[in-house]
Order: sequence, then C-alpha cells, then structure tokens
Amino acid sequence: MLNEVLLRFAEWLDTHAWSTALHESYYMYSWVESTHVLTLALFFGMLVVIDLRMLGRAFTSVPASVIARRLDTPMLIGFAVMVVSGLLLVYAVPVRTTNSIWFRMKMVFFVAAGINALLFRNRMKAAVDTWDNDPIPPRRIRTGAGVSLALWSCVVASGRLMAYDWYDCHQNLPYFMYWVAGCVDEMAAFE
Amino acid sequence: MDVFAFFEWLDASWLASISKAYGGTFAVVQVFHLLAMLTLGGMVITGDLRLLGVLLKDVPSEVVIDNTQKWINVALVALIASGIFMASAVAIKLYYNSFFWAKMTSLVFGIFFVYAIRRPLLRYDHGSINPWTLRLVAVASMTIWFVVAASGRWIGFS
Repeated sequence: MLNEVLLRFAEWLDTHAWSTALHESYYMYSWVESTHVLTLALFFGMLVVIDLRMLGRAFTSVPASVIARRLDTPMLIGFAVMVVSGLLLVYAVPVRTTNSIWFRMKMVFFVAAGINALLFRNRMKAAVDTWDNDPIPPRRIRTGAGVSLALWSCVVASGRLMAYDWYDCHQNLPYFMYWVAGCVDEMAAFE
Repeated sequence: MDVFAFFEWLDASWLASISKAYGGTFAVVQVFHLLAMLTLGGMVITGDLRLLGVLLKDVPSEVVIDNTQKWINVALVALIASGIFMASAVAIKLYYNSFFWAKMTSLVFGIFFVYAIRRPLLRYDHGSINPWTLRLVAVASMTIWFVVAASGRWIGFS
C-alpha cells in the first residue's frame, strides 16, 4: 500500500517539466549534486569535530559545551543546504530514487540519526555541568557520539551506493528485495 | 618519466585485479574515500575559519590548528590509500580525464601547502604572525581543498 502511494507520488513528480529539465541539464544537475556533497562536507565535518570531542579524541583541553555550541550554527547551515539540494536531486530523478533500496536505507538511517541527535543533545545539556571540562566524557556521552558517527556514516555510505544499480527494479531479485525497494510492478508479476 | 607507463602498470597490478573483479569492494573503498574527504573538509574548515576569526573565537587558534592537524594527517593517509585503489580500477580511463589531472595537481599542491607552508608557519605563536598572513593562509587553504573536492566530484561527470 505504502509502496504504491510512494510510487504514484514519484510518477506524478516525474511528469513535471521542471523535474525533467533539471535531470537533463548537464551543468545544473551536476552543480546541485556537487553542492550536496560540498555542504555535506560542512555538515559532516562539523559533526565529526563535535563527536570526536565527545569521544575524548580531539580538543580535550577545550570544554565540550564550547565545541558543541560554537560549531552548531555552521553545522546547521550545512545541514539546511544539504537537505534542500538533496530534495532537488530526488525531484530530478523521482522514480528511480523512490525505488532505490539504498535511498530507503538512507532515509531510515537519517531518521535514526536525527532521533539519536535529539536524545544526545538533551542528555548532553542535562548533565554538561558535571563533565564539561573532562578530557574524556562519561561513557553514555561517548556511546551517543559513537552511535551518531556510525549512523551518519551509514547515511553517507547509503547515499553513495545509490549510484549502483545492483538492486534496481530491472534486476532479477527475490520478492522480498522487490518489496524493500518498492518495485510495485515486479511484485505484481510474482502474484 | 613516462607517466603513461605507470598507469599501464597500475592497470595490470594486483590491486587492479581486485578492484575490477569485486565491485562491492570497490564501492566500500569509495565510501571510505568519501568519509575521509568529509573528515578532511571538516578539519580544514574548522581550522581555517578559526584563523579567519569566524569560528571558535574563544579557543586559542594554536589549540584549534593543533587538534585539526592530527585528523588532517589521518584523513590524508586514508584518502590517498583509498584513492590509489580506486584509480587502479580505471587507470587508463583516468589518464585521459582532464578533471583527474586537475584533482591530482590541486592535491599535490594541497599536500605541499599543508606540510611545507601552513604547518611550519602555524607552529609559531600565532600572535607573532601578521594577522593578514594568517587570513591569507586560511583563504588559500580553503580554496585549494575546495578545488580538490570539486574536481574530484567532476571526474564522475566527465
């Protein structure tokens, strides 16, 4: 049901003249994709610095709250541009993206990383006074930072793997894989 | 020196036989290449924006440069190692790719800049260095690494 709705929505987006124009524009599409990667460097780069501090692997002589507070704004600027450019990339190639297992995994990791970031932030704010100057933060903070790095790395990895067509709908796949990728027509052929 | 001979050798090397035969291995190495590039980008931006007085103004710039430099070293080693592996899969094709040469030129210049100019200069007390020199180093550094990243991305488009 959800697969059907998502596919119909993607097909509707695909009928837009702007979607086709963006997809077929060599320079525009390439620049949007380059912007996506370069702002990812800003977002992920700041995240790495913050998480390495929380892991006690960098900036150990600087209070953790200073690193987190000061790098928050550039990280969020990078995040905002990255999301907008990402949405444009989906808009340019809606059907293949919707039916990409890697894209779907990316979205799952993205949501999980977002939830972890919210929990991590609250946990950090609640107890920062007790360990702010410690070179190595408490275990629960290090765990949160490690999970954050792992989840965002998975977001990056699954985004990069979207370029490969190993599990695209046109491939010969088991029913479960078609279901995960949302290949509605291929699933119907099984029934 | 015959550069093409090196590419021919790389194309026939054991690295190439692995990278060409196992698409999954190539893809995983590509992911690590990207993660190393993002880490390098983050460290360069943090250090250079501190030199420009934009970020972490309440932290001494010597502390920021010292901490980011360690991770720049790690990221560069990972970038080069994964880059050589990836290049082995398409060595001959890369030899004829203009963006590849743009990336290699800017990468060599970037490494030279980091280890021959930026790092030796920033070992001194930053208070004793002309602020405009620090700003110039920061802008030059961000420009060089932007060119490395952008030309690297455009290898895939060309």
